Formats: sequence, C-alpha cells, structure tokens
Amino acid sequence: MVLLELFLSFMKIGFFSFGGLTMIPVINDEVLVHGWMTADEVMDIVAVAEMTPGSLGINCATFVGLRTAGVMGAFSATLGVMAPSLTLCMAAAHFIMKLKDSGTMENAMNGVRPVSMGMLLAVAVTLSQTTFWAEGAAMKLSDVHWNLVVIAAVCGVLMFRLKLTIPKTILLAAVLGLLIG
Amino acid sequence: MEKNGKGGRPVSRAGKLWTMFWIMAKIGCFTFGGGWSIIVQIQHEFVDKRGWMKEEQIIDFMSVAKSLPGIMIVNMSVLCGYAMEGAAGALSAAFGLTAPAIAAISLVVYFYGSLKANPYVEKVLNGVRCVVIPIILQAAWKLKGKSIISMISYVFLAVAFVVCAFTDISKPMVIIAGAIFGLLVWRGKKEHGAA
Repeated sequence: MVLLELFLSFMKIGFFSFGGLTMIPVINDEVLVHGWMTADEVMDIVAVAEMTPGSLGINCATFVGLRTAGVMGAFSATLGVMAPSLTLCMAAAHFIMKLKDSGTMENAMNGVRPVSMGMLLAVAVTLSQTTFWAEGAAMKLSDVHWNLVVIAAVCGVLMFRLKLTIPKTILLAAVLGLLIG
Repeated sequence: MEKNGKGGRPVSRAGKLWTMFWIMAKIGCFTFGGGWSIIVQIQHEFVDKRGWMKEEQIIDFMSVAKSLPGIMIVNMSVLCGYAMEGAAGALSAAFGLTAPAIAAISLVVYFYGSLKANPYVEKVLNGVRCVVIPIILQAAWKLKGKSIISMISYVFLAVAFVVCAFTDISKPMVIIAGAIFGLLVWRGKKEHGAA
C-alpha cells in the first residue's frame, strides 16, 4: 500500500505547487507526516535536486520513492508528481490546438505573449539577486560575487555572439565554476 | 498528414515519436536552474532544426505551462509533445524529459554522502547557476518578434515585469490578466480597423 500512498502524496504535491523551490513547504508537509523522511533529509533532497538535472519535483519523488520502496516506489512517486501535467496539461493542449485559429484566442494571446516576456525578465532579475550576492547580504556593489558575474557574462557573450548551444554553454559554465567559482 | 524532417525526408510516426523521446532526454540532461533553458532548447530542436512546431506555439505553451499546476518543464514537454504528435507525443516527450533526472537521482542516492562533502561539486554548481541568467535573457530575446506586435505590447511587458519582480501576485493571475486585457485591447482594435 505504500506504493499507492507514494503515488497519492506526490500527486497532491504536483497539484498544489507550481514547481521550483515553492514546492518545498508542500513536500515537507507530505513526507514528514508519513514519516518517510526527516526535515534534515528534505533539505538534503533540495541540495541533491540542485546538483542534478531535472526539476525539484521529479528529483524529490524519485529520491523519496527509491528510499522508501525501491524502484517501484520511485516509479509510483514520479508518476504521481507528473499526474497534473499528464492530465490537465494534456486537456489544455487539446483545447489550445482546437482554438488556435479563432480570433478571440489570438487576441487573448496578444496580451499573454508580452506578459510572458515580462515574467521571464523578472525571473532573470530575481535569479541575479540570489546568484550574484551572498545569501542574506545587503545588496551593495562591494558584496557582489564578481567571479560569478564574469562567468555569466562570458557565457552570455558566447551564446549570443557565437551561437554556442545550451548544453555546451552549461558545460563551459561548469568548467569555469570549477576554476573560479 | 505528411510530416517532414529538416531535409524534407518523410518521417514515420513511430520514428518521430522515438526522435522526440531522445531529443527530450538530451534536453532533460541540461535542465539545471529551474528548467528555463529547455524553452530555448525546444525552440532550437523542434522549431529551427526540424520545423515540427511553430515559433509562436513555444511562447503560447510557455505561459500555459507556467499557469497550470505541476512541474513547469513537464507541462511544457506535454504541451509541445501533444502539438507535434497528439497524446502519444505528449507521453513520449514527458518521459523523455524525466528519464535523465530519474537516472541521475538513482545514482546520487547511492553516492550522496561523498558528493555532498565535495567542495568541487559546490564550485561547479556555482558556475552552472550563473549561466541560467543569460539563458533566460536569450529566451526572452528570441520570443520578441512574436510577442511585440505594437507599442501596447511594450506596456503589457513592462507592467508584467514590474508586477512579477516587485510583488507576490501569483503568476497564473498575471497570465489571466494579460489574456483579459489582450481580449479587450485587441478586440477594440479590430473593430476600429473594420469601421
């Protein structure tokens, strides 16, 4: 029955979160209540998720599932956390494809597209704050991690000017991080 | 419906699903930092290289993926997969994307203790986190052509930027507001044009 519980818990986590670090409180609630992990171990998963490809949700589900009930546990939990995408998003995709030629949909999208761009730029600003300044430090010019700014700038120029692909850019950033990070 | 690869070669449905799975798996290996980089990679692989999706679909799906519950990058791959090959495409893309993460975590579970104590791992991560910022800027830049269709679009962009950067208003609310104001503004435009 632990497989079903894993599936249901992670489905709940999936439905009540919008990905990223905002998932932590929801994940905490579920796995602590079930006694699957301690609060310290949850912070460990967050660190693990940062080190590996994939989103926090998938990584967490695999991690908890694997430790609680082996491979089948990992499978149940991961499928659970993907449930909203596989149901809601599939329905949304169907709906969008049907409506794509309607004028109303196009008008709404004319509004949504620039808004998405604004959201994306806001994410860049927030990430710059957390990446380039030490955690909890006042945002003064003297506290900037200049080595990290250099890495971002070098990678940015190579990507924009020389059309370096994303996987190559990320590998380059990893090497630069090792050298001066 | 006949669908072609980049060189105009016909691609069978099974072949296309298989290709989608592997491309998404490749993309899944490089989704550090909240997964924003997958937007640029999907665009590169499926729009520029193969022509299986249209440019404007990327940005439409991005806002839907962000507003629905669930993991943004999984949502994004379901939407893109569905647009290319229906439900089978959605499954192929979603499982392709998550496969590398599941494999990586399984390894990490066994080596976690030694990885955590390693200072070099920390340095590599610092570098990887930095590159997410230029990646996001590039994604925004590439979407500019389809999103900015008049001066009013800049107003939408600026307001959304300020709201998202400086308030805690939820992202779905911002997207819904964008859709409503888009309907109001551009419907008015069309009537003016017709009159």
